[in-house]
Amino acid sequence: MSAVIYEKDLTAMKYAILVSGRHDRVVREIAADLQVGVQQLRRYIIRHFDMMLMENIPARYEAGKKDDSLMEPVARELGMELYTRYIPLFGKKQIEPVIDEVEMLVAEGKPEEEAIRIGKAMLGEVLSR
Amino acid sequence: MKKTVDVSIPLGPIHPCFKEPARVKCETKGEFVTGAEVELGYMKKGIERIMKGRPWQEVMFLAERVCGICSVIHNMVFIEALEKMSGIEVPERAALLRVVVNELDRMQSHTLANFSYCYTIEHETLGMYLLDMREKVMDLLELITGARVTCAYIVPGGVRFDLREEDRESLLASLDAIETDVRRYMGMFEGGSLIGLRSRDIGILSKEAALEAHAVGPTARASGMPEIDRRLQHPTYQKLQFTPVSRDGCDNFSRIMIRFDELLQSIELIRRCSALLPEGPVRGGGIPGAGEIVYCGEAPRGELTYFIKTDDAGRILDISIQTPSIMNIEACCHYMLKDAASIADVPSTFVSADPCIACTER
Repeated sequence: MSAVIYEKDLTAMKYAILVSGRHDRVVREIAADLQVGVQQLRRYIIRHFDMMLMENIPARYEAGKKDDSLMEPVARELGMELYTRYIPLFGKKQIEPVIDEVEMLVAEGKPEEEAIRIGKAMLGEVLSR
Repeated sequence: MKKTVDVSIPLGPIHPCFKEPARVKCETKGEFVTGAEVELGYMKKGIERIMKGRPWQEVMFLAERVCGICSVIHNMVFIEALEKMSGIEVPERAALLRVVVNELDRMQSHTLANFSYCYTIEHETLGMYLLDMREKVMDLLELITGARVTCAYIVPGGVRFDLREEDRESLLASLDAIETDVRRYMGMFEGGSLIGLRSRDIGILSKEAALEAHAVGPTARASGMPEIDRRLQHPTYQKLQFTPVSRDGCDNFSRIMIRFDELLQSIELIRRCSALLPEGPVRGGGIPGAGEIVYCGEAPRGELTYFIKTDDAGRILDISIQTPSIMNIEACCHYMLKDAASIADVPSTFVSADPCIACTER
């Protein structure tokens, strides 16, 4: 059987997309938001996104930031829509338990800002797995 | 009993219906398409990297070489970004001539896109008619700019050549003939029963999905979003009282029909420009200097954005180009092709989004 012609390892090309100016800025912003390493996030994106979705990350991020349709403050702060629909890093099933947990922390009296920070760190852990 | 199996069907990178190489990998279940992915990298130019460190006088020629189909808008957005950054004024006559050339470029691009679609659904007759009409538009571009593809017509502070009175008359006469052709071909497309079967309710891109993928240009406007048009923010278009057109079909048919609508709209805009064209200079002068800017324009396929940083001598320190095809191809692969009823609809749906791989792989 002859070798495949088109089934190539795309990692290097995907990495080149991610380190271009605009993509790099967005990836760093998301990594800081979710409290994960930049390389860790890049690796996750390379594994889970196809090239076209990767190319479109800055535009999607911009659209996600503008979307103010989500009313619940905790879900909005955690990036429920941004990180599931616009930049699909998580499935709804992954983010919903985190939202529940953060809402519980807030109900128990933890300051909302701190609870959100904890929630973001939990999301970051999902990416690290 | 017939077996239904899940297979991955790759289309391309070389495909008779694609203008440029791209590999669309479709996941299928029987004849249903459950998802699609795109693999790029067959024509990467690295043009942004080449631009860095070069003076603007060189980069303006490189900018229009990003895309061979919509080169005028790359030229226009790059120069207008420099002008805005450096406060360079453009004479009224030159600003209107820019719109004329930009709209001619849009016309030839839309005609080529619709030709590709007709060719893909095996309606070669209409496809060839459209190609023939595109030649007339290309001739008009050549008449005004002196070139067909890479015109380098727009320069800081104006345009390269004035439009002579006899050329203006010739332009208007040709537009009358082109308008008659467009209306005839629109009728053929709209009334063609086989065209309808291959195009209506196929490749659906809902308004929500278009927003999510940040779809732009005719692709977004065919999903009921007239506000997605950068010409609304352009001062010359505002003077021309430009209003965008839109359709609500969200399918392949609407995407082709909206390009026909926009052909008529472009003809009308050129006529308005011609009527308003004042006497006066077409080059005001001015030299771009240091600065940083994000500037958008409406390319035939949608919003084109240039991020530019220059030094005192006008050398490009950093540049990044966001072309409309990035958003539209992504919308196509992840929404229009997902859950398509037949693998046979994949090439036509892909082509209906007017994908430009040259733009995508700068």
